[in-house]
Amino acid sequence: MRQIPTGTSLTVGEAWTIAFTYFTVAITVSLVHSTAGTPPWIIVAATLLVNSATATLAYAAVTAAGGSATAGVVAGCLTATRFGVLAAALAPRLWPERWKRTVAAFAAFDPNIALANREQKDVDVRRVYVAMSLWLVLPWWLGASLGAVIGDWISNPKALGMDAMFPALFIAIIRPQLTTNNARLIAILGAGIALALVEVLQGGLPFLVAALPALLALRSRDERRT
Amino acid sequence: MLTWGVVAVLAIGVYGQRALGMALIDPERLGHRSRQVLAMVPLSILCAVTALQTLSTRGELVVDARVAGIIAAAVLSWKRVPMFAVVVVAAAVTSAVRVLS
Repeated sequence: MRQIPTGTSLTVGEAWTIAFTYFTVAITVSLVHSTAGTPPWIIVAATLLVNSATATLAYAAVTAAGGSATAGVVAGCLTATRFGVLAAALAPRLWPERWKRTVAAFAAFDPNIALANREQKDVDVRRVYVAMSLWLVLPWWLGASLGAVIGDWISNPKALGMDAMFPALFIAIIRPQLTTNNARLIAILGAGIALALVEVLQGGLPFLVAALPALLALRSRDERRT
Repeated sequence: MLTWGVVAVLAIGVYGQRALGMALIDPERLGHRSRQVLAMVPLSILCAVTALQTLSTRGELVVDARVAGIIAAAVLSWKRVPMFAVVVVAAAVTSAVRVLS
């Protein structure tokens, strides 16, 4: 199997950058969990089975602030709602067989969906989604496992600016998509809605509302070039 | 602290939502206009995630060193600098601002 599907817009540089970013951030996520007292093997299990730092970190934040485990689990599931929406967004371009999409759902993250979504042909969408899911999930699991074992080695991830890596990566993924006025408007509205609602709605829910600007795709007929 | 029970419930809860998203959509019955809208959803959500990961912490709006790092990332992205440099410079700028302040 080729690591980078040929004939698609995915580049080696993008794949390595995403692998590097997810590997690095995974170490810091494990550090948060080990600081909260979670044993290493449960951190590894959580990484492999939940496959979402958004969810486990929300749980850790709620319980660290004195919330109950139930409140933590509810917060964890709520913050992950965006993965369901992202999965639904890419679903029409993935395999027609439902079971294949159900398997693919396990690796529904932000960057692999965004990069697969930019392909013109459905067959390339599938190839990029599979390749990028592996490029993302494997370093993620590796970094998390490493962090669970040697997490204390990095004393302060924030001092290294690691919390800026995800948003920086997403900016780099978003940038080439802002080719039309409509796309730029959708981008600004998505960000604006999330910022306006973050202090009002429970974690994760602002993202559901922030998906609505995508309806602007219906606005103009001349932007059907894609 | 995560426990086995918490991991199990989170795993089911998170995967359930992902699988539901994939299952709710029937590609063969989806019209052109629905496809157009769904195609823009990742952009909209990615911008929302970027905004909140830059300007909020645990549900509260916060302006800190990350903002400088992300402004640097935005400028470099606009200049079409390779993605790897964008990520590393953003972390370095954020780190430098924290050290200096």
